[in-house]
Amino acid sequence: MMPTVFDKVQAVITKKFSVPAENIRLDSTLESLGLDSLDLIDALFEIEDEFNVRLPQDASGVRTATIQDVVDSIEKLQAADGGQQAGRA
Amino acid sequence: MTARRVVVTGLGIVSPHGSDPEILFGRLMKGESAIAKMCFDVPRPYSNIAAAVPFEPTRHFPPQQRLENLDRVSQFSIAAAAAALVDAGIKFTDEMRHRSGVSFGTGMGSTQTLEETFKQVFQRDPDRVRPLTVLKVMNNASAGHIAIQHGLGGPDLTYSCACSSSAVAIGEAYRQIRHGYADVMIAGGAEAPLTVTFFRAWDAMHVLAPADPSDPSASCRPFAKNRSGLVLGEGAAMIVLEERESALRRGATIHAEMAGYGSSNDNEHITKPSVDGQANAMKLALADGGLTAEDIDYVNAHGTATLLNDVTETRALKNVLGDRAYQIPVSSTKSMHGHLLGGAGALEFVIALLAMRYRAVPPTANLEVPDAECDLDYVPGEGRAEQNIRCVMSNSFAFGGTNAVLIARRE
Repeated sequence: MMPTVFDKVQAVITKKFSVPAENIRLDSTLESLGLDSLDLIDALFEIEDEFNVRLPQDASGVRTATIQDVVDSIEKLQAADGGQQAGRA
Repeated sequence: MTARRVVVTGLGIVSPHGSDPEILFGRLMKGESAIAKMCFDVPRPYSNIAAAVPFEPTRHFPPQQRLENLDRVSQFSIAAAAAALVDAGIKFTDEMRHRSGVSFGTGMGSTQTLEETFKQVFQRDPDRVRPLTVLKVMNNASAGHIAIQHGLGGPDLTYSCACSSSAVAIGEAYRQIRHGYADVMIAGGAEAPLTVTFFRAWDAMHVLAPADPSDPSASCRPFAKNRSGLVLGEGAAMIVLEERESALRRGATIHAEMAGYGSSNDNEHITKPSVDGQANAMKLALADGGLTAEDIDYVNAHGTATLLNDVTETRALKNVLGDRAYQIPVSSTKSMHGHLLGGAGALEFVIALLAMRYRAVPPTANLEVPDAECDLDYVPGEGRAEQNIRCVMSNSFAFGGTNAVLIARRE
């Protein structure tokens, strides 16, 4: 089965911040996973790399964003791009 | 307040000869060089040899450590500091923490991250610079991480004065304790300059030795007539300095007592060394410890194997030590571990302390063709036993003219 967007986000956070995968749920906020402000920008950078997308630079909402919000943003960007961005080197 | 006495209670290294001080010293005694050919993915530079560290970060850091946020130079420093603290066997109480600090030196800093970032901006995508790049590149990253890791709230200082950086860091840390500003200091420095950019920059100055065609490991020849330049090395050395009375109270093993520190500048030329400047640093270090030439039993020389340094340093030693300069061993271990630049002073001071511990002096390797202008006892070839080493001197001289001399005595 192809990994879902959630699976990939979960894998990035687990690998980079040693957060156990079972703690990362759709309703978790990044802050509740123990990520501080520097970790957050680092995590979002990694996620952008993973999906080859650019998330909105809205720092104020990042702390309270849930994993669901991140997944939604990625899916929306992927749909809007129609795969164009995915072709970028 | 009367000046307090300062002792060395812990040693930690990450060197081209490995991370165990005893093994490092054993290999140096045999004249074993860690210098080898480098592989760069660019056209071959004029020089392509260096003393690289066989570093496996996973042996020094726990699995959850985010190594991608630490430049190689910081990985070296943090590992060496942790080893020094283990060696010191020190447990920090809350009361001690605000009187304990870090004194660190590096010349070139986070070269790997800088190079990677330049590549990203100029060759790949300037929009994709890693968000924590500044925190990896800043020269005080190592000192900051060491203080955080061990919970040290005292002075946390980083010195950058090229090849004297870590000797200055140790000397200044000694003063912090001596004059009552701190009780414990982790002091030393590191360098990791073996990136293509920085290697080529050094190369372009024509100060690097070309590879010896028959034996690349023998390319660095301090004090020899056929010396042809320095060989870059990398690594870190950190030591734990403590106020003597409190170290004795906690039953610490004392490696040596800090006996003197001298700091001077040549104030003549950005690279050309000066006899007066170097001699002045040595005189100041002797005066600081109330010592005379007769007290010095071994000198770990700056000995870069550049044409100018070795003859200048020899003259400065004779100027300061007089006849004593001819009676004592003076060696350049750079012939084997290369030039650690900002990390050199600390590693070489550690080696001088080990010479006192093992009652033996390491050699100057590859010294087969004598130079009439370099006429001291440089311990050519292999090391030798020296029973009466009570006091050792370690010299560090830098581009920019900063000279730093450290002296330690047997406790």
